[in-house]
Amino acid sequence: MPSPANAGPAPSPPDGGWGWVVVFGAFISIGFAYAFPKGIAIFFKEIQGFFDTSYSEIAWVSSIMLATTYGAGPISSILVNRYGSRPVVIFGGLLCGIGMVSAAFCTSILQLYICVGFITGFGLALNLQPSVIIIGKYFLKRRPIANGLAMAGSPVMLCTLAPLNQFLFDNFGWRGSFLILGAILLNCCVAGALFRPIGAPKIQSNEEVKEVLKEEVTKDAMEMNSSTNIPVETKPEEEEAKDCCEKINKYLDFSLFKHRGFLIYLIGNVLMFLGFFAPIVFLAPYAKHIGIDEYSAAFLLSILAIVDMIARPATGIIANSKWVRPRIQYFFSFSIAFNGACHLLCPLASGYKGLVIYSVFFGLAFGMVCAMLFETLMDLVGATRFTSAVGLVTIAECCTILLGPPIGGTLIDTFGDYKYMFIKCGAVMVLAGTFLFIMNYYNYRMLAKEKRKAKEEDPKSVRTESEGRNNLNKDTVQDGPELEPLREEQERLKKEVNGTNEV
Amino acid sequence: MPARCLGSCSGRLLLLLCLCFSLPGGSPADLAVTPQDANQTHENSLTQMPTGLKSSPEPMTTTQTVNRQTRGGSITDHLTVGPDASTLGLDLTTQEFKQDTKSNISHGSYEKHEVVLPATVTNLTVKLYYCETNSVCKITLIINSRDDSGPAVVKNITLDRAVRIELICKLHDKYSSLKVIQVTWKKGNETIGHINKTENSWSIQLTISDNSKLGSYNCTVKGEKEFSVVFHLQVPKIDVKDKPVITYEGDIAVLVCKSLNSTPISWTWYMTNGSEQIAINDSLVLDKYVIDKAFPNVTQLKILKLTSKDDGVYWCEAAFELGKSKGKMKLKVLSLMVPLKPFLAIVAEVVVLVAVIFLFEIYSKRREKCAEIEKEFDQTEQLKSEESNGVENSSTRHRKV
Repeated sequence: MPSPANAGPAPSPPDGGWGWVVVFGAFISIGFAYAFPKGIAIFFKEIQGFFDTSYSEIAWVSSIMLATTYGAGPISSILVNRYGSRPVVIFGGLLCGIGMVSAAFCTSILQLYICVGFITGFGLALNLQPSVIIIGKYFLKRRPIANGLAMAGSPVMLCTLAPLNQFLFDNFGWRGSFLILGAILLNCCVAGALFRPIGAPKIQSNEEVKEVLKEEVTKDAMEMNSSTNIPVETKPEEEEAKDCCEKINKYLDFSLFKHRGFLIYLIGNVLMFLGFFAPIVFLAPYAKHIGIDEYSAAFLLSILAIVDMIARPATGIIANSKWVRPRIQYFFSFSIAFNGACHLLCPLASGYKGLVIYSVFFGLAFGMVCAMLFETLMDLVGATRFTSAVGLVTIAECCTILLGPPIGGTLIDTFGDYKYMFIKCGAVMVLAGTFLFIMNYYNYRMLAKEKRKAKEEDPKSVRTESEGRNNLNKDTVQDGPELEPLREEQERLKKEVNGTNEV
Repeated sequence: MPARCLGSCSGRLLLLLCLCFSLPGGSPADLAVTPQDANQTHENSLTQMPTGLKSSPEPMTTTQTVNRQTRGGSITDHLTVGPDASTLGLDLTTQEFKQDTKSNISHGSYEKHEVVLPATVTNLTVKLYYCETNSVCKITLIINSRDDSGPAVVKNITLDRAVRIELICKLHDKYSSLKVIQVTWKKGNETIGHINKTENSWSIQLTISDNSKLGSYNCTVKGEKEFSVVFHLQVPKIDVKDKPVITYEGDIAVLVCKSLNSTPISWTWYMTNGSEQIAINDSLVLDKYVIDKAFPNVTQLKILKLTSKDDGVYWCEAAFELGKSKGKMKLKVLSLMVPLKPFLAIVAEVVVLVAVIFLFEIYSKRREKCAEIEKEFDQTEQLKSEESNGVENSSTRHRKV
């Protein structure tokens, strides 16, 4: 593409180079965000005896942390829209550190809720969202691989944190461990420092270019420049009506709720999370229930984590292949349904060997789903709107994530049998997978229809030119939201087939 | 009831023996076996507490649930016997034996069961809890195989109160053709006289009323082959955390001792001062020690205002009817400096890394800027030449898409 004056590759994501360093930073950040709430469960027994509370009161610490991490998603999105990923992650890391250090000096369970639950949870939320967002900015062609690698941070961190926490606990007690864990969480700041903002300085050169070449629309450059929509103002050809809604949408894009793909994703995922985490929570108790000893039951979880670790990058590579990438939504729905099928078959597993096989398949399915969780959302809404999309999705998922295990627990207590919990989780996930599959088929067809319509109705060279040149952009101002995925789809499909950048 | 040989099974084992017990009362026999998970110890024990009819002078056999766990190479079994137990009807599935207790249960006034345990199973602990004083608890162990290396089979039997028990040493049916020359029962070195003999079992009745009656009772069957079974009677053990409890100066320490399934008469705490043990009273030092008696089988010692002098070994002692049992706990009191050092080390590492990353970025940006300035200079030259051909280029672009 003869983009004049601009450095050629500037508008499109680098898909490599510093991007891999960013993936490493995201690996650490995402790893802490997902693994930390599970990792501190080791300390609960001791703290429970120390403060003389029941186990459920202590378990609230983990729940509050998880709820805050997901619930603070929109706030995280707004901050990233305003300031970019890097400052937010660094601030998040500091917050986590402060939270855990203050938790080391707590004298009541309520203080633990605040320090560990809210403060550290909020810090982890400020870590999680920006890490996922910045991958979308640095990668396009290899985005599934990058996503898969970054999401692999979660099982790796969990496998590291669990024995580390045990070691810290044996040597320093729970207070000393919290102090040291606070320092360890400060490493998120290091990860944040790696998140170099991409593209911002290019605005100036774009404007010079526009002055030189009048027929060029350079919105694509602006998209890469920053995550905020503020540079949109510099488009000379568009007169935007800046009303109140537009202003809000700049910070958190509520117009996403009119986006078909986003809605499909939201409904499908919210349904899926009802049955996603409960089997992990109850796998070890179920194993003990059928007579397996503690250590072997814990080993089942390790098997799960190891298979998960391998499955996530592998899924990323598969999803990046040219056969799967255009139909990645189908692959995602398939993996959810596969996950559900595993749970439905679990009650048939008898004895330890059966459970080991179940753990292997569960780890595989879990990794597949997690690796593509954010990739599919990016695919549907595009990198710019992804910032707001991820915030809105996480706060919606927050409710079902928290509800899932307690509902499973209630089923177990009512029927006295674990199999109903597995059946419920499996059924919910198969349903979610099927829903996503059907709706995405409909979505793909609608997108193809709109693309044909757009081609017929809009012969303007400017439009087609920018279509041709836009690699991943959503022109939020020029066109309605419906055409954005269309254009991105078209571009991406073209690119995937040819394997090169289109003009 | 004939004993059964059992087939093989993979995975974990559950051996269920139903236990029926008669108690003074009027209600019909109700067979109950209640499983209990004791995660604090490494083994699971299941308590059977049978309820039953009025006491009859006949001794009742009790069935027990055994939960076996294999860790490493050793096998540990617990058989627990108590007053109210409910049947689970679980099947034994082990490599060495199978057991189907349902068919053994009859709803009569008493049930007779026998458990077949291979001689290779050592470390079997039978806990006789709530064995009523006016009835006799029977423990039957059947020898059905013999390790060629020939160690004696040791069964640990835990008693928490004074009981009358009958220890039965029985040969399996497959050995019924074996000629038995002599059977001796011994406690330590002294031989016990009254041996009750049935077809192929030999038993002794004992009244365990105090500590002196506890110990090892040995049954030796001599014939063509020699078998030896040892019943080891002991008081219940205390469950304590084996890892040291780590606390900090000025903080509070909580030491917990639990006695599973049996309630001691009293608890006492000791601290070790040099080589002697000093009992801890509330009056020893004011506002320092708080002993919590919330549950009868759990004792909790809270030590307030910790100093480094409180570091050391603590003992909790449970007094049962038949004796005392001790548990050992270690308390470590650290100063805040101890975790502070790794903390500061990690913080320093973070600061250094962040500084290095930012410096590297500034450095590489400077280099880029220099390169860019040169590039832009070249590009403006290029643009000027392009503009002159501007029309052609644009049309080309239009056509392309």
